[in-house]
Amino acid sequence: MIAWTIYLTLAGALLALLLPRILARWVALVATAGGFGLGLAALFAQHTDFAHFTTIVRVPWVPALGMNYHLAADGISLTMTLVTGLTALAAVLFSWKVENRPNEFFFWLLLVVAGSYGVFLSADLFLFFVFYELVIVPKYFLIAIWGSTNKEYGAMKLTLYSFLGGALVFIGILVAYVTAGTLDLLQLTQFQFAPQLQAWAFPVLFLGFAVLGGIWPFHTWAPTGHVAAPTAGSMLLAGIVMKLGAYGALRVALNLFPLGFQMWSKWIAVLAVIGIVYAAAVALRQNDLKFVIGYSSVSHMGFVLLGLATANVLGVSGAVLQMFSHGVIGALLFALAGAVYYRTHTRNLNDLSLMGLSRTMPFITFAFVVASAASMGIPGFSGFAAEITILIGAWKTFPLAVGITGLGMVLVAAFTLRALKKSFFGDQTGGRVRQETRVPNGAATLAEKLGASLLICATLAVGLYPKLLLDRIMPAVETMRFLHR
Amino acid sequence: MVTLGDYLFVSGLLFTLGFAGVLLRRNLIIIFMSLELMLNAANLSLVAFSRFRTNSLGQPNYDGQVFVFFIITVAAAEVAVGLAIIVALYRARRTTHVEDINSLKF
Amino acid sequence: MSYLELLRLAAPEAIVVLTAFVVLTIGLVTGRREAGDTPAATAGLGALVAALGLAIAAATIVRLPGHATLFHGMLVVSPLNSLFQVIVLVLAFFTVILARGERLLPNKGEYLAMILLATVGLMLLIGSEELLMIFIGLELTGLSLYVMTAFDKASQTSAEAGLKYFLFGSMASAFTLFGLSLIYGFTGTTSLAAIGPRLAEQALPPLLFVGIVMTLIGFLFKIAAAPFHLWAPDAYQGAPVSTAGFIASGSKVASFIVLGKILLIGFGPVSGSADWHGLIAGWTPILAVLSALSILIGNLVALVQKNVRRLLAYSAVAHGGYTLLGLIAGGRAGFSATLFYTTIYAVTLVGAFGVVGFVRRENGGDDLADFAGLRARSPLLAGCMAIFLLSLAGLPPLAGFFGKFYLFSTALRAGANHGLLWLVALALFGSLISLYYYLIVLKVIFLDENAQATPAVARYDFEMRADYLPKMTLLVLAGAVLLLGIIPGTLVARILASFG
Repeated sequence: MIAWTIYLTLAGALLALLLPRILARWVALVATAGGFGLGLAALFAQHTDFAHFTTIVRVPWVPALGMNYHLAADGISLTMTLVTGLTALAAVLFSWKVENRPNEFFFWLLLVVAGSYGVFLSADLFLFFVFYELVIVPKYFLIAIWGSTNKEYGAMKLTLYSFLGGALVFIGILVAYVTAGTLDLLQLTQFQFAPQLQAWAFPVLFLGFAVLGGIWPFHTWAPTGHVAAPTAGSMLLAGIVMKLGAYGALRVALNLFPLGFQMWSKWIAVLAVIGIVYAAAVALRQNDLKFVIGYSSVSHMGFVLLGLATANVLGVSGAVLQMFSHGVIGALLFALAGAVYYRTHTRNLNDLSLMGLSRTMPFITFAFVVASAASMGIPGFSGFAAEITILIGAWKTFPLAVGITGLGMVLVAAFTLRALKKSFFGDQTGGRVRQETRVPNGAATLAEKLGASLLICATLAVGLYPKLLLDRIMPAVETMRFLHR
Repeated sequence: MVTLGDYLFVSGLLFTLGFAGVLLRRNLIIIFMSLELMLNAANLSLVAFSRFRTNSLGQPNYDGQVFVFFIITVAAAEVAVGLAIIVALYRARRTTHVEDINSLKF
Repeated sequence: MSYLELLRLAAPEAIVVLTAFVVLTIGLVTGRREAGDTPAATAGLGALVAALGLAIAAATIVRLPGHATLFHGMLVVSPLNSLFQVIVLVLAFFTVILARGERLLPNKGEYLAMILLATVGLMLLIGSEELLMIFIGLELTGLSLYVMTAFDKASQTSAEAGLKYFLFGSMASAFTLFGLSLIYGFTGTTSLAAIGPRLAEQALPPLLFVGIVMTLIGFLFKIAAAPFHLWAPDAYQGAPVSTAGFIASGSKVASFIVLGKILLIGFGPVSGSADWHGLIAGWTPILAVLSALSILIGNLVALVQKNVRRLLAYSAVAHGGYTLLGLIAGGRAGFSATLFYTTIYAVTLVGAFGVVGFVRRENGGDDLADFAGLRARSPLLAGCMAIFLLSLAGLPPLAGFFGKFYLFSTALRAGANHGLLWLVALALFGSLISLYYYLIVLKVIFLDENAQATPAVARYDFEMRADYLPKMTLLVLAGAVLLLGIIPGTLVARILASFG
């Protein structure tokens, strides 16, 4: 059933390209809503085996080379499927007003979504890599055609970084394939690779994934890419694409080469902590609203990597929860920043602070306050639940890292509050809100309200009752073989 | 007594001369003649091998000589095509010097 | 072996030769007009006959017996040879269709006849396992292609490109010939199957090794491997577009299959090894170095190109480097990976040159700037070009992706302890560079606006006289590239099965 997310989205992509332009957005809406519905239904279905990566479809594809069309799902991949559907639906709602070449726009958008579904559900390394690379080119076109601010540069940089990461992943996959003689993930995760091989193959494979996951110092594509991308593009980047890297690292790199992971895990933790603190510090100095959010994404993804590096159930489950949580919160923040830009044509914090947006855009302001609170890790939102789980997990393995990360969290709060204040609650004393800078159409559209409410509900639901997801994630994590026992 | 080695030496010399001519000369016609020299160097070595690689009955290995006939034919065709291209180029450019043929580069 | 038997087994080649003469006659009978342009109807007739002849030849090949050998390997019928002869015929078929649009050319009949003769040369190259016959096939192909390259008398660059192609080509074939004479001298035979055992039973004399290397030069020239690639950019840019497409596709496929046969059947015993830690002298290390050189030079120089055909030429050099990986890996697996890759590459390039041909007819040029805003003018062409270029860049779900996966995985499996990893990593790095310049072309097509307004006449031509047949052909080719990427299993299985 869950496999239909891929087919539905692909069919939607083709229809969006071929049907008249007025229908494209409706097709996209139906396809993403369908995907979201399927994701919900699968995750909250009774009698599902969340603990094991259970095969859904398996048909021979290229028998001569041992490739199968093999899809499978467990609690982790279903969680990721859900966040994909959620973000995609919100992204379509927030791009309801795309007038320039809508057919192509929704085609590329749905292609990214379909590829992501595919990555999360693949149980064959070749299939996995096909979907993983499928996402690269649509991103380029989404950004280069519909983007803003330095869009061609941002698009090219993002694409080349993605492809570079893909090339490293390719090497890792090839090595695993020719050594073990199979591409089946279920078999590969049982195969014992020689320790000497793992020692060099693991960092290659992990780094390849981590580039897409925004690991420091290979994160620089993320802020420029986010800034250049159109609203929906940034939402997908933050909500889904960065998760592809983290998910690949977890599903493939860690499980294939557990010994290699043991050798390198403390270095991963070091890079993750540097990423958390560094990105937060840089975000504090940015004047472009999207740059701030872009760096905050890198910082939040640092938590995911830290969680993975702990190699214990709590830390890794927290990392998966954080992937979900940041997918929702990051998408929400970018969506609102896009909504602001759409109305004011600026993202410069100093300019925005003169506009007094809290009065002209009440709904967007409200949503942004909620999103900022969630991003800062205020209890009650998913961000808190995820980060506290990661930190508890990390406490056992890397106590020092927890301390430094605490500093990072303070910085996150600082830059989030700064951005929030400057963009919405700027200096409004004494009529400095000049008439010409007032925004005429500040009210949020119905589509925007729906999209934002959807994401807010998701972060609240998981924040108030994290067991909702953790009950499904933790069994799956417990069966993985790289954990320290 | 002339040995196989001597023939091969001459053949190699002819080939080198031809190659040097192709590389160093600037006139298309001369480059063209040098190319023919390279082909004929191969002919010489083929014939020499054919003569010296005898079978148990003392007969030469005729494969090489047959090869030579084909090469002569092919070389004639090559001359025809090559000269035709040179003429076409001469009509367009009024030159047969390689330095002047430089509209396509890098 | 009777002559009737010979005629039966050589029927496909004979049919193509006959078709060439018929097409030539049609061109002569209908005569040349003073205006220089043959009437559309007769040009269409010639193309129709040529296409028909190619189709009949392909059908004849299918009906040949599975295995047959004539005159000690002068002509060998085997599943592998038949498969690739059909592939070359199909590529020639597409070239003939796309050449219909080549309106600048007078003497259409002669041009079509040349395509057919080149095809015969390619069929002989593929169908022979004997040095003399291979040499003749090589020359027949080469001479026809030189003439085709220089065919466009209206353009100055065409003759120049033809001359350069001719000079480099003749020099390379002289090297091959000299090498063949040495191989013949030291092994006493010209049959590939007999050379292998003779090489195995004796220590390698230095002069024989020189012979092997010199022989390889001719074929490396044909596949435009660096540093024997210097002709390629000029020929691709100056030749009529359909010729460039045929050089890049049909000629390349045939060259790779012959190169593979010579190396793996003939020179198999002296292959050596190019493993990082286990270097063994032989032709493999030489090929590995040339492959690395091709990947680097091709991709790096392609970065700065402003002409799309030149860019495709340099990328062809790089792709030649990738394709060599399979031969370096050796064995059935490596050879089949090479053959798969070169086939899909050929299909892709015929299509890409088809698009270039359309743009050239519309804008009168094929520089990057001429592609600006192609999306707005013709979404179909833009979409096809995107598929072709992204396949060349090796992105899924297109054929180039699977081809690369196949090539790289066999290469990695070949050496002990992943010995060829260095070359695979280099090839992946090359792909990264190539993605950049392919994206630049796509950016120009999909983003940039057309700076200079198109002349009204050309525009009229493009819109109204746009031949549906070539456009449909492009669509078919793009569909093939997509399908071969999604279900590559059929072709892979076919190639593997054809080894017997």
